[in-house]
Amino acid sequence: MRSKGLQAYCFGLYAFLYAPLAVMVAFSFNTARRNVAWKGFTFQWYGALLRDAELARSVATTLELAVVASLMAAVMGMLAAYAMTRHAPFKGRGLYSALLNAPLMMPEIVMGVGLLSFFSRAGVPLNFWSLACAHALIALPFTTASIRARLLSLKESSLEDAAMDLGATEWEAFLQITLPLARPAIISGALLAFTVSFEDFVTSFFIAGIGIVTMPIKIYSMMKFGVTPEINALATCLLAITIGFLFIQRFLDARSRLN
Amino acid sequence: MEPDLVRRQGALDRGLSWLIRGQRPSASHILLAPATLWLLAFLILPVASLLSLGFTHRGPYGAFEWVFTWDNFRRALDLKYLPILIRTVCYSGATTALCLVLGYPLAYFLSFQAGKRRDLYLALLMIPFWTSWLVAIYSWIIILGREGLLNGLLRALGLPPIAFLGTSFSVILGLVYFYLPFMVLPLYASLEKIPRSYVEAAHDLGAGNVEAFLKVTLPLSLPGVLAGCILTFIPCMGDFLCADFLGSPRTYLVGNLIQNQFLMAQDWQFGSALTSLLLVFLITGLYARHRFEEQGLFEESE
Repeated sequence: MRSKGLQAYCFGLYAFLYAPLAVMVAFSFNTARRNVAWKGFTFQWYGALLRDAELARSVATTLELAVVASLMAAVMGMLAAYAMTRHAPFKGRGLYSALLNAPLMMPEIVMGVGLLSFFSRAGVPLNFWSLACAHALIALPFTTASIRARLLSLKESSLEDAAMDLGATEWEAFLQITLPLARPAIISGALLAFTVSFEDFVTSFFIAGIGIVTMPIKIYSMMKFGVTPEINALATCLLAITIGFLFIQRFLDARSRLN
Repeated sequence: MEPDLVRRQGALDRGLSWLIRGQRPSASHILLAPATLWLLAFLILPVASLLSLGFTHRGPYGAFEWVFTWDNFRRALDLKYLPILIRTVCYSGATTALCLVLGYPLAYFLSFQAGKRRDLYLALLMIPFWTSWLVAIYSWIIILGREGLLNGLLRALGLPPIAFLGTSFSVILGLVYFYLPFMVLPLYASLEKIPRSYVEAAHDLGAGNVEAFLKVTLPLSLPGVLAGCILTFIPCMGDFLCADFLGSPRTYLVGNLIQNQFLMAQDWQFGSALTSLLLVFLITGLYARHRFEEQGLFEESE
C-alpha cells in the first residue's frame, strides 16, 4: 500500500495545509494594497510594522506574558510530573492526570468565558498577572507531558539508584542526576508553553483587561478593521518565530532522547 | 561550620529527600499543590461559576440575582436558538467526518515512514497547527474573498465569480483546515503502534491487501479514530472565529452566540447556560476517552 497514489495524495494534503501560509508570505512582499494581484516587490509593509509603536507595545506585552506563563508552567509541570512518575501511586492519580489534560480538550471559549465570569464574581482584577496565571494553566499540559515522558525514561536507567549506592542522599541524587538530565525536557516543555501563550487568542480575548493588548488581540482588531497587507507582514514574522521555536524544541527533544 | 548549622542542613536535606522519595501520599500532595491550586482557581472554579450562573435569574442590566431558574436553558433550546445548536452539531460532525476521511490516509502513510523523513513529515504537520489561527483565517480570506485569489483564477478562466465567503462551505473548510492535525496525530499514534508482523501474518493466511487492512489494521486503529474524533469534534463545537470571519450571521455557531452574550448583550446567565451545553459534550467525550484506551495526543506524536 505504499503506492505512489497515496504519496501523491499526502503531498496534496500538505499543499492544502501550506497554501494559506504561502499566500500570506508572498503577499507580505506585494506592493498592491488589495490582495488580488501581484503588483511588485516591496518591504514597505515590514517598514510600516517597525514604525507602529502600538504594535511594538503589544509585542512586548505578549513576550512578557509568555515568559512569565511558561516559567510558571515549567515549575508546576516539573513538580507535578515528578510526583506522578516517581512517587508511590496515590489515590485518584488517573483522575488527576485526566484533569491535568483537560485544558487541552476544552473548547477555549469555555476557558475564556469561565474565567471571565469567575474573575468578575470573585473580584479578581483583569490585569497582566491574572492573564499570565490563566496562560500558565493552558500551557501546563504541555510541560507536564514533556517532562513526564523524560522522567519515565530516566527512571529505567536507574542512574539515581547508582548515585545513592555511592552515598548520595535522595536530594543530592535529584539535584545532581535527575534535574540535569531532565533539563532538555523541561526547556522543551517550556518552549511549547511559551508558544501556547504567545499564540493564545481566545482566552486572552475574553479576560484581557482594558489596558492589555496582546499581539493576537491586536491582529484581531486589525482584521476587524479591514484587509491590510501589514497583517501579512506581521503574520510572516510570527510564522518565522514559531518555526524557529519549534526547531529549537525538536532539537532539544531529539537530544534528550539520545543520551 | 557550627554544629547547629550542620544539624539544620541535615534536617533540610532529610526533609527534601523525604519529598523526593515520596513514599507517603502527603509528599505527593505537597509537590502537586501548585498544579492543584492552578487547576482549582483557573479551571474548576470557573467551570463551577458557569454552571451555577446558568441556573440563576438575570437582574436588570445583567446584574447577578441568586434566584434559581431553568429559564436560560429553556431559552437555549427554544425555537429561536435551537437551529444554531443544530447547525453547530452538524458543522462539527461534518468537520470531524471530513477530517477523518482526509486524515486517515495521511496518518496511514506517516505510519510507514521512518527516521529523519518521518520526523520531517511530522514537523511539517505541526507547523500549521502551531501557527496562529487568526493568521491562517486571514489568509483564507485572501484566498476565498470576493476579489480573492480563487475568484481571480475563475475570472482568468472566463467563469463568473462565486461568493465563497459567508457560506457554510468556507466555514467548514476553515474548520477542517484547523482541526486536521488534531485528527491525524492520534490516528498516526495508534497506527504506528500496530506491529507490522500482524499484517504480514494476515497476508500469510491468504488475506489480500484490502482484507488485511479491513480485518487487522482498521480495527486496531479504532482507539486512534475515537481519540481523533473527540479531539476534533469538541473544540469544533466551541469555535467562533471561523464563523466570525469566514461565515456570515447565517452560519453563526454556538460559539458566536456565547461570545455575543458575554461581550455584547451582557446576558451572562444565558451565555453560561449555552456554555454548559458545550460542557455536556466535553464531559461525554472525556468519559468516552477514559473508557477506551488512553491516547495522549502530544506524548505519542513525538
